[in-house]
Amino acid sequence: MTYKKWLPPAITLILLIAGWQVYTTVSGIDAWLLPSPKDIGDAAIEQRDALTTHTLATVELTLYGLAAGVAAGLLIAIVLHLVPFLRAAVYPLLVISQNVPIIALAPLLVIWLGFGIAPKIVVIVLVCFFPVAVATLDGLGRSDALIADYLRMSGANRRQLFTKLQWPHALPTMFSGLKIAATYSVFGAIISEWLGSEKGIGRYMIVQKSAFRADRMFVAIVIVVVLALAIFGLVALLEKLTVRGRRHA
Amino acid sequence: MPDTLRVAGVNHGFKDLEVLKNLDISVKQGEFVSIIGPSGSGKSTLFHLIGGLLTPASGTIEINGANAVGRRGLIGYMPQAPALMPWRTIEANVILAREIAGKKDRKIAREWLARVGLDGFARSYPHQLSGGMQQRVAFLRALISDQELLCLDEPFSALDAMTRADMHRWLLDIWEANRRSVLFVTHNIEEALLLSDTVYVFSHRPATVLEKITVPFGRPRRAEVVDDPEFVKLRRRLTDLLTGVPS
Repeated sequence: MTYKKWLPPAITLILLIAGWQVYTTVSGIDAWLLPSPKDIGDAAIEQRDALTTHTLATVELTLYGLAAGVAAGLLIAIVLHLVPFLRAAVYPLLVISQNVPIIALAPLLVIWLGFGIAPKIVVIVLVCFFPVAVATLDGLGRSDALIADYLRMSGANRRQLFTKLQWPHALPTMFSGLKIAATYSVFGAIISEWLGSEKGIGRYMIVQKSAFRADRMFVAIVIVVVLALAIFGLVALLEKLTVRGRRHA
Repeated sequence: MPDTLRVAGVNHGFKDLEVLKNLDISVKQGEFVSIIGPSGSGKSTLFHLIGGLLTPASGTIEINGANAVGRRGLIGYMPQAPALMPWRTIEANVILAREIAGKKDRKIAREWLARVGLDGFARSYPHQLSGGMQQRVAFLRALISDQELLCLDEPFSALDAMTRADMHRWLLDIWEANRRSVLFVTHNIEEALLLSDTVYVFSHRPATVLEKITVPFGRPRRAEVVDDPEFVKLRRRLTDLLTGVPS
């Protein structure tokens, strides 16, 4: 990325933070209502040990959940692609599954699966599998008909059509879904930690909220944002390494 | 030696649409045969039948003397558009048909790319090449598929006149040095006469053979042949046949 790309948003962000600092100083607003950026920075330094533990717990949970969600999404996409009957039968249900509010479902998951890691992983999977499944299914179904004809006339069987044409064709679309899933995964992890856990940024948020520590809440928010950006960046990097020579018609 | 391709008495249609009617075509070994006909006269359907994607309602199709109805993987095919895989390098694209047959061999790809003047592009991706270059790659992909019969479906129809003339020269040079049996579909009368040994003229739908013309010019064939009085006469005759003027 060139500086032309990141400089404008960076300047905007710095101006926003500076404006915020000026406003809180001039207006004299109470710190428990709206802490200044400096208050937030101080809170982060003061809490760094606790924050490290909680952040690591959240990172671990997020990565497990994301991996499981992506695996589920890919599996669903491939199976539905290969079995058109299942696609017709199951696809609408997938869409419905996304309309069930996770917040409502989460307590039920705890009742069914207990307080361990299982219900938390399920929450993240529910949030992450859908964009991957839909994007991949779309990509698999839209490969070039002319190339498919060419392959068939050259004697390709179904397996070869899949591995040589449909799967590589679906990769860029799959990565679009993966990027969405990556950004959702942190958010899913935070919600799942609200269900009840000992560690994690979600747990930290709940505790600080009941203590009216707005400064620490903001620190947690910053950590969540940075985590989501980091995972997104990781996926984007992976895409760059796997997807080659694209951008045709 | 049996003909490389023999299509005999083939009828085919879709629902109530009759597309091909009692079609007879043959391609001898090492012969360059063109099919010329009006748009929508079912030439692509014929290729799908020969390629085994469709099964004819009646009639026989034989490749190298063996029944080829519904059988795939017996021809080297070059479609209308290059249909290259954008995520594969040129080298990996050219080897595709062999790869499907389980005979993947990068060395052959590289040798051929060098032989036809594309060696600088082995590591390039299709989008980095011009339309004419992409078509050359698509032709090479068909050529090194190692099939005796090459089926070329209006391969140059999307190219401008200059590029097209270049392609004719290029194709003739390669083909005259590596004789294969070619079935070539085109709309372009001059192209058909310039390249072929035999030209089949198709009627409007349902397509049937109006006339089979033997092109009397030898090999290697030069571009100047288009000024030969005999060539001009044949071109006139084909134009009349295709536009329906009685002769």
